[in-house]
Amino acid sequence: MARAVTERAKRARRQEKLRSHNYYDYSLLILVMFIVAFGLVMIYSSSSYTAQTAAKYNNDAAYFLKRQAACAVIGIVAMLAISKINYRLLLKRLPIIRITAATFMYIVACLLQIIVLFVGVDLNGAKRWLKIGPLQLQPSEITKVAVIIFTAYVIYLAPKMMDTYRGYVKVMIFMVIPIALVGKENMSTAIVLFLITTGICFVASRKKMFYVVAFISGTVLGGLYLILGDAFRMQRIDIWLNVETHPYGYQILQGLYAIASGGLFGTGLGESMQKLGFIPESYNDMIFSIVCEELGLCGAIIVVLLFILLLWRIFTIAINAPDLYGSLLCVGVLAHIAVQVIINIAVVTNSIPSTGIPLPFISYGGTSVVILLAEMGMVLSVSNQIKGY
Amino acid sequence: MLAVSHSRDRNVKTYHRQGAMFIIVIILVSSVFLCGRLAYIMLYKADHYGVMAEKLHERERAIKAKRGVLYDRNGTVIAGNVSVSTISVIHSQVKEPERVISILSSELGIDEAEVRKKVEKVSSREKIKSNVSKEISDKIREYNLTGVMVDEDYKRYYPYSSLASHVIGFTGADNQGIIGLEVTYDSYLQGTDGAILTLTTAGGIEIENAAEDRLEPVPGSSIILSLDVNIQQYAEQAALKIMEQKSAKSVSIIMMNPANGEIYAMVSVPEFDLNNPFKLNTGQDIDASSAEGMKLLNNMWRNPCISDTYEPGSTFKIITSAAALEEGVVSLNDTFSCPGYITVEDRKIRCHKAGGHGGENFVQGIMNSCNPVFITVGLRLGVDNFYKYLNRFEVLKKTGVDLPGEAATIMHKKENVGAVELATVSFGQSFQITPLRLMTSVSSIINGGHSITPHFGIGITDSDAVNIRKIEYKNNNDNIVTEETTKTMRYLLEAVVSEGTGKKAFIEGYHVAAKTGTSEKLPRRNNKYIASCLGFAPADNPQVMALVMIDEPQGIYYGGTIAAPVIAELFDNILPYRGIEKN
Repeated sequence: MARAVTERAKRARRQEKLRSHNYYDYSLLILVMFIVAFGLVMIYSSSSYTAQTAAKYNNDAAYFLKRQAACAVIGIVAMLAISKINYRLLLKRLPIIRITAATFMYIVACLLQIIVLFVGVDLNGAKRWLKIGPLQLQPSEITKVAVIIFTAYVIYLAPKMMDTYRGYVKVMIFMVIPIALVGKENMSTAIVLFLITTGICFVASRKKMFYVVAFISGTVLGGLYLILGDAFRMQRIDIWLNVETHPYGYQILQGLYAIASGGLFGTGLGESMQKLGFIPESYNDMIFSIVCEELGLCGAIIVVLLFILLLWRIFTIAINAPDLYGSLLCVGVLAHIAVQVIINIAVVTNSIPSTGIPLPFISYGGTSVVILLAEMGMVLSVSNQIKGY
Repeated sequence: MLAVSHSRDRNVKTYHRQGAMFIIVIILVSSVFLCGRLAYIMLYKADHYGVMAEKLHERERAIKAKRGVLYDRNGTVIAGNVSVSTISVIHSQVKEPERVISILSSELGIDEAEVRKKVEKVSSREKIKSNVSKEISDKIREYNLTGVMVDEDYKRYYPYSSLASHVIGFTGADNQGIIGLEVTYDSYLQGTDGAILTLTTAGGIEIENAAEDRLEPVPGSSIILSLDVNIQQYAEQAALKIMEQKSAKSVSIIMMNPANGEIYAMVSVPEFDLNNPFKLNTGQDIDASSAEGMKLLNNMWRNPCISDTYEPGSTFKIITSAAALEEGVVSLNDTFSCPGYITVEDRKIRCHKAGGHGGENFVQGIMNSCNPVFITVGLRLGVDNFYKYLNRFEVLKKTGVDLPGEAATIMHKKENVGAVELATVSFGQSFQITPLRLMTSVSSIINGGHSITPHFGIGITDSDAVNIRKIEYKNNNDNIVTEETTKTMRYLLEAVVSEGTGKKAFIEGYHVAAKTGTSEKLPRRNNKYIASCLGFAPADNPQVMALVMIDEPQGIYYGGTIAAPVIAELFDNILPYRGIEKN
């Protein structure tokens, strides 16, 4: 009898194993790799002239490409490794310090943000980089992933509290620290962080109306802040509305020239005129304008579609995640990518006042691409825990 | 327990799904909006921004049009062009800065520190030196220095350097005329610059292999002048000689054809070097950018023959005589008496001969250049008639010569003229006139009464000098004086040379007619004079007229003594040269 039971249990376990072979979202993986590769091509195209003509880049046309490619390789390795680790490890307490990995990440990110305020490398008047030996990293990128992990963790601990507005307030009490620290030097990233947190809370809450009201009142308040705020913010509105005549509208106007030069099919890969010094740092936040110029409207729409496809894959993983935590992680990543893509393209097309947000996977930036790929690793890890049907 | 958990999970999933779906919808709506925005910019606004972008990318590099040539009447080039180069460096393209610096400074003779400053300056293009001779620029080109640009260009070149400098004028850095004929005919000479349209980077560096639009330059037209290099040279030598002999301040000589106004020579020594127009002809070093320097240069460039007025003195008696003859208030046999002065109203006006000329007829009066005779004749004419003839002889008008900066006659207002003023005007004092104005009015008196416009330009031609378009000058009046008056005037003025004050203008074999003049410069009693002589030949068919003016001669200052011999010297050579036979 007992033997029969064990036999049955064994068979059941075997059947279970067979039935529930773990799912892994290869289409998402391939999509990410493709976008990263496309990004490298565009970085080479948009940066080679700048790199070639500047002694500080050793006159090496592939200067930016090489650095970005190295980071992309590190990111891809990290992504693959993370995707094979169960994301639930984030909820386990670490040895010795006896706190969860999620909390640990949160504390580390806050500390890095504090450190960067003091010893950060000053670039263009903002301290955003930390220099460790030959490595330079942007703590705000690390903060992004920490905010995703920690917001999801806070909600995971008490999902029901999200059903009242108090839950959102509680989450924001935690998040206001990193957001404020980032916002000190980098307002646009702070906005991204805020939107990621709000996005996760929104999905986790049953009270959707609250967010709609909050969003509308937030927009109104934000608008008032801009209009009544200091001259610098008002100036951005001025530039936005009078981009062709405003003396500081140069960069955006140059971007518009690039986009308008693209036409339906573009001038051809590598044929951009605007990258020849007209758009400053055309491989950074303005890279989408070069995509438009070289690949045209068709190329630009294909890029937008690639991102939508990517977001759709993350979305399906989010709603199929085996638990709330995994689901919220995916929502966080989705919000992160979506917010950056939309704001970036909106800025480049002068649809909103300018703010410096890079285009995920495509704009030049080592920390950004490594973190984004690590986030994709997390999403893949969640997908890996979905039991097959 | 398990079931409860399940149901809660499903419940959770439902509203998660809704929340996530809502976010996806927002993303989709945003994406559609952004794609619409992209399409709007890339298709609808493409022209608008495209044109702006193209303007930004296109760099126009001008190709200078070759400036037209100035030829003399025989086809000799007076103002031409030479090929020169502009040497510049493009900072970002310079590979061996040290070598570039040392070669450029030694080849161009520029201080090394100065070249270094320009080579090391971060700019899209830095000009090192312009107007570099072809020889040197070819040498620099042979070094094959990367980042060093040698651009060919034209520079105005005057082969006779100082010949007729006040008349020809010179051009500025932008190929534009600054003074003289270079200004008058600027619009013909300039031509149309061409352009190379290339695409450049933001730094202004041209993009290789980019399609070039080339707009060919149209060379300027050339002008054929009435000047004759040989006559001009000869006149200049004569002027220099007399200037030196008499230690004069300056000497001007104008020679023209009284029949049609073509000017053969216009000399004002000292001349200046047209190839170095910013260097003073006195050898004095000046700072051309200072106000003082500019004043000195402007003085040097000034053409006294047309821009300066003077009191013509006795040469003006030609005008008074012609007016009186034409009006019939005098005949050649009228007798006058000169006690050495004449009293007009309460003023005693002296004759130049202290003791007086005694009794004389009108012919003798003009031969003696006797002031009382002309005062009498002028008073006979009266103010109204005198002004009628001043107007008819166009004395009060500018000549309309094709040179910039012509001065107007300074004459009493008619209503202010009393007997005393009329008396002084009659013998050429108390008003001012340009030398060329005087010559032009006298020309119309002795050429049969034809109004003329003195001029240099006689033809416009393409650069190949094949098709010549004649330049027409208007003739206001063919009846300025009667044929009779012309004949009388020729006779009277020939008499001046054969027996009167102009004796020294006489040459063997030609009938030379002339009138001399001596005017005291204002303010009076400074012992500064202008000695002049206006002559023409042959007297019966005038083909050449010359005016010699000696400004502030030292020692003897009588026109008849020092200016008349210059007329003789000029005619002695110029008349045979112009193919006018002796008789």
